[in-house]
Amino acid sequence: MAESAALNLVLWLPALGMAWLLLTRNGSDRGVRWSSLGLMLLQLALTAWLYLRFDGSMPGLQFETRVPWIADWNVNYHVGLDGLNVLLVALTAFLGPLVIAGAWTAVDKQVRLFHAMVFVIQFAMTGTFLAQDLFLFYVFWEAMLIPMFLIIGIWGGERRIYATLKFVLYTAFGSILMLAAVIYLVWSQAQATGEFSFDFADLGRHPLPLGVQTWLLAAFALSFAIKVPMVPLHTWLPDAHVEAPTAGSVILAGVLLKMGTYGFMKLGFPLFPDATRAFLPALWVLSVVSIVYGACLALVQPDIKKVIAYSSISHLGYVMLGLVSLDLLGIQGAIVQMVSHGLVAGGLFTMVGMIYERCHSREIAAYGGLAKLLPVYSVFFAILTLASIGLPTTSGFTGEFMALLGAFNAAWPVHEARASLLLVLAVLAVTGVVLGALYMLWLAQRLLFGETRAPHQPLKDLDARERAIMLAFVVAIFALGLFPRGPLAKTELAALDYQQRVLASRLPGDAP
Amino acid sequence: MNWPQILVSMLPEHLLLLGMLAILGLEIRSGRPSDGFRTAVVFVVAATAAAVWLWADGYQAVPFEHHYSVTPASTLPKAVLLALAVPVLFISRDDFAETPYYALVLASLYGACLITSSESFPTLFLGIEILSLPVYALVVLGLMRAQSPEAALKYLVLGGVATATLLMGMSLIFGWSGSLALPAFAAALLSGDTLALSGAALVTAALFLKAAIVPLHTWAPDAYEGASAPVTAHMAAIVKAAVLLAALRVFGVAPVTGPAVGLVAALPLLSMAWGNLAAIRQTSVRRMIAYSSIAHAGYLFFAFLGDGDGRWEAIVFYLVAYGLMTVLLFAALPRGADDERQDQLDALKGLYSRRPFAAVMITVSMLSLAGLPPLPGFVAKFLVFRNVLDAGHTGLAVAGLVASYLGLYFYLRVIQYMFMNEPEPSAARGRPRRYAVLASVLCLVPALLLMLLPGWLLDRL
Repeated sequence: MAESAALNLVLWLPALGMAWLLLTRNGSDRGVRWSSLGLMLLQLALTAWLYLRFDGSMPGLQFETRVPWIADWNVNYHVGLDGLNVLLVALTAFLGPLVIAGAWTAVDKQVRLFHAMVFVIQFAMTGTFLAQDLFLFYVFWEAMLIPMFLIIGIWGGERRIYATLKFVLYTAFGSILMLAAVIYLVWSQAQATGEFSFDFADLGRHPLPLGVQTWLLAAFALSFAIKVPMVPLHTWLPDAHVEAPTAGSVILAGVLLKMGTYGFMKLGFPLFPDATRAFLPALWVLSVVSIVYGACLALVQPDIKKVIAYSSISHLGYVMLGLVSLDLLGIQGAIVQMVSHGLVAGGLFTMVGMIYERCHSREIAAYGGLAKLLPVYSVFFAILTLASIGLPTTSGFTGEFMALLGAFNAAWPVHEARASLLLVLAVLAVTGVVLGALYMLWLAQRLLFGETRAPHQPLKDLDARERAIMLAFVVAIFALGLFPRGPLAKTELAALDYQQRVLASRLPGDAP
Repeated sequence: MNWPQILVSMLPEHLLLLGMLAILGLEIRSGRPSDGFRTAVVFVVAATAAAVWLWADGYQAVPFEHHYSVTPASTLPKAVLLALAVPVLFISRDDFAETPYYALVLASLYGACLITSSESFPTLFLGIEILSLPVYALVVLGLMRAQSPEAALKYLVLGGVATATLLMGMSLIFGWSGSLALPAFAAALLSGDTLALSGAALVTAALFLKAAIVPLHTWAPDAYEGASAPVTAHMAAIVKAAVLLAALRVFGVAPVTGPAVGLVAALPLLSMAWGNLAAIRQTSVRRMIAYSSIAHAGYLFFAFLGDGDGRWEAIVFYLVAYGLMTVLLFAALPRGADDERQDQLDALKGLYSRRPFAAVMITVSMLSLAGLPPLPGFVAKFLVFRNVLDAGHTGLAVAGLVASYLGLYFYLRVIQYMFMNEPEPSAARGRPRRYAVLASVLCLVPALLLMLLPGWLLDRL
């Protein structure tokens, strides 16, 4: 009981924060910052407690709340933790205070509105992860759009309006077709079973013909693939990242992109398993193309933020590869990789923000020899670079290695049966690791070493606030890299359940 | 004649009539322009209360057999229309002190009330005419701009065409069925007979014209732009809702299948796409709203597809959400003496830094009109497309949703102007007006309740 209450509190605390910020007018910017930070830390503390209480050996939902919302259609306010969302909720709560702290000095106009928007998006993201009802999920899913629209559009860089409109129009197009699919799915199910239900658990029960499954999967997948983003639907991402303020980039890379992969894992693939299996080779190809193409593009960018933006496309390709490998190791790797990427990319974007605040430039060519100018900054940057490459002991290694291992596990038996496409793809995916090392090390080399150069001197090294933020990132990265057993134990049953649901047939006429 | 029954069942109408007489009578008696505003508000609030009371009581009566009936299904929309009129009156406070304005608004509301209770074509016709005639005059009344008379004339002429078309359609249906009762329309729609179908098509066309469906929409942008803001709010929220309720009376629960699908779906689909696309090009706020309302009329007619089960629920919910948000928008829009410049979209630039409350209100309104969750506009859109998909028109539903996506851009652009652009130096810095703030609160609170608990209203539909 106490846990359910705490879970609801985790969800609604940011909403409270938003209401309070929008309804009051008094109070200094400083007060707004401190109280927002306090609220986020409270959310984090509650989440940490729930994380520890979460029992990985129990299948299904824990700490559930289920209250009728729209009784007419049997829509429920249904939230709960399971193995698939527990780590992502923890990640969201972990990044919350870091986002607020990271924007402490960077955001100086309309501070109140900024924090209100961060709270809205925190609320919507937590809600999307926790929702166990399709209607509720869709509401939270769409609610993420507008705060991000404002965050990029108000506090962003020079081309912010172009970038933010592109971001919203791109993502909204995906969700509009998903809405059609949602209605179709629920109402066709209601016609067959005579019962309306938006509950995730009920949606999986009624078998659908392959043709219908394919169309519905396509509609869901379009929406999710835009969010991930998968090549060729990725073109909004670099613009959004480059123009977004640091806080926006951290939220975007840290959590928002995971919405796409989470959607595939929670809804897309398990709801339409037959269509998924029919399109498995295509999904493999798209994942590997994302990995390699993203890495290649990252290699040639002149802008630090763009390098990290394209590297995100590449890293999320591993997540997709792990998910479509349908191998237990690969699936678990995908989950770990999601969290790891959130930490690493979030940390890197925060660091770019720190140097941008000092020098107002993101050009790689403008910098050099920062190791001498900013020793502490450089140490953190180097650690994050290595984590991004996937050096053993960092979280990146655990995630990518397991995802690739899963891919090989899945590809080998197919190869023995004289179909080598998957094996070729798996091998190609490995080249992504090499390219990743190349672009990240090259970036670090150009920034940190060589002739000392910076657009604005003298430079002040990281202050206590910035060190604390980076320390939090680094500790989390090493914790996940050195002790992955704990998180993996919490997700194992859910990963197994995902695997079995995608492998089981849902065609009408087949035995369940 | 059962006089007590007529007295009770038509109480909202009687109160409106009394209000009109009171407004005019007070002015004649005092011999100088009196404040019609207060009288109007008192009587409209009383009429709303009467309609709510009749509805909550589950009152049913047939004061005029075959012509006029009162059921909860007619008192609820009546209550909604009258309740929407209250904030519209509040918006009018600063523009209109003249007595005729308030008398005309009440007359128009009287027509709207007649429509929701009509059982026969003559009553419906009377209702539509009483609804529209005062509005022709209202468009010129403020005379804020040189184009107002032209806009009113255009509206009048096209309104006349709609009247003629409606009469022609009615007479064809009467000739075919020998009945003036509204169910004759449903019979004609399903008959497959050429004469009957042409009658049904003419009646539908007249309703399309009144609701501004493409290509019969051309009067709307001019009229919306030419009229002063409160009149535009009245046209966009109340007149449009009344016309849709008229369509709801006409169609009843008749299934729209077979050839009727083409009749009901083709032009509304075009409306959604064209309304949303044309809205992007507009530089005037009111013209943009006109095109937006053209698109919304398209969604509303889409809800008529299918076997008629979810139609009532979808349309009434949609009208509540749409009406609240449109009135909220007009309540929050900054206005000043220079109406023409104020009406430019550019005048909204940087509004958040000048008037944060108004900017947030307009944002809520825009997002809801765009149909983004969790605002009530989303549930409304959901209901409409549920109807379409439930009827098996998957292709139409996808086309409609894509058309609705086209509208997202211009709604977002308004938000962009208010929050992300620097204010123009010429922008007025007028203080928020007390009555307009009251009006926006009157719209916002029910909208937020509807957002948190949409089930409350849906259960009662």
